[in-house]
Amino acid sequence: MVREFGTWLQDTPLSLGLQSTLWFVPVSQSIHILSIAVLFTSAMFINTRLLGFGAGGRSVSDVVATHLPWMWRALAALAITGILQTITEPVRQFITPIYWYKMLLIVVVAVLTARFASQVRAHAAQYDAAATRPASARTFALVSSALWIVIVILGRFIGYVWANYL
Amino acid sequence: MSTPDILISLQNTAFFSAIRGGRPGTEWWFPIVETAHVFSLAVVFGSIALVDLRLLGISATRTPMSKLSEEVLPWTWRAWVVAAIFGSMLFISKADTYWNNFETRMKFLFMALAGLNMVVFQLGAYKGVASWDRSTPPAAARLAGGVSLACWILVVVFGRWIGFKT
Repeated sequence: MVREFGTWLQDTPLSLGLQSTLWFVPVSQSIHILSIAVLFTSAMFINTRLLGFGAGGRSVSDVVATHLPWMWRALAALAITGILQTITEPVRQFITPIYWYKMLLIVVVAVLTARFASQVRAHAAQYDAAATRPASARTFALVSSALWIVIVILGRFIGYVWANYL
Repeated sequence: MSTPDILISLQNTAFFSAIRGGRPGTEWWFPIVETAHVFSLAVVFGSIALVDLRLLGISATRTPMSKLSEEVLPWTWRAWVVAAIFGSMLFISKADTYWNNFETRMKFLFMALAGLNMVVFQLGAYKGVASWDRSTPPAAARLAGGVSLACWILVVVFGRWIGFKT
């Protein structure tokens, strides 16, 4: 079923236009990689701070306020380039199971991150003081780090395994 | 200049043959080393971008420049060393291909320029950071930030293009 949707999609004018624009995939993938760098490093600074081994100079709420906006901007750029890349080569993505696992995990970590962010905004002082910081903050740091790492690996490996599903 | 003999010799050793998947059962070595390279380069770019955006007055403007540098740059260095180790493994495994590749040379050129820019900045504008730590950085500092960001973007873009051309 997804294969049929993929073959239908690759015959649409938009897809055909992107397929014949030879510079599109290299440029889009470059933006995609740069955005991964921004997102992953932002998450790293927030999560290491939460786990207690980032530099203690800045408060948790300050670190979140600095890095989170860049995470969301990077995620938006990743979504746009990702969707366009998928429209350009839909069958390749849709027939590869790890593509779908990656999408699912992205939704999960985005929801977890949004929830965590609203809690920090609502209870900044509580999160800033180590003594009162909820244990869930550490859990979030570990889980979101693991999710982002798996997401990046899945994304990279789509390129290596898709041909096996043809 | 043709590929140096030492690199050819290393390329043909058992270890580097395995990295490029040239021995039975080693097909996944290259993808794994490459993925490790991607994670570490992501942190290099993400962290240096943070410092550059601070110099350009775009991000983390509440944080004193010296404090941000102190916190972030160690990550940049550690990640660079790791990226260089994995990158060297990838390079040597197919030294003859990469040595003669235009995109590879451009990547290293822009990395050298980024490094030179960093040295000039550290010995110049950064020496007087105490006077602009909490205010708008001077023109020389903003220029350094812009040059650095542009160079590292080009390093990543040329790095991706190597994958398309080899």
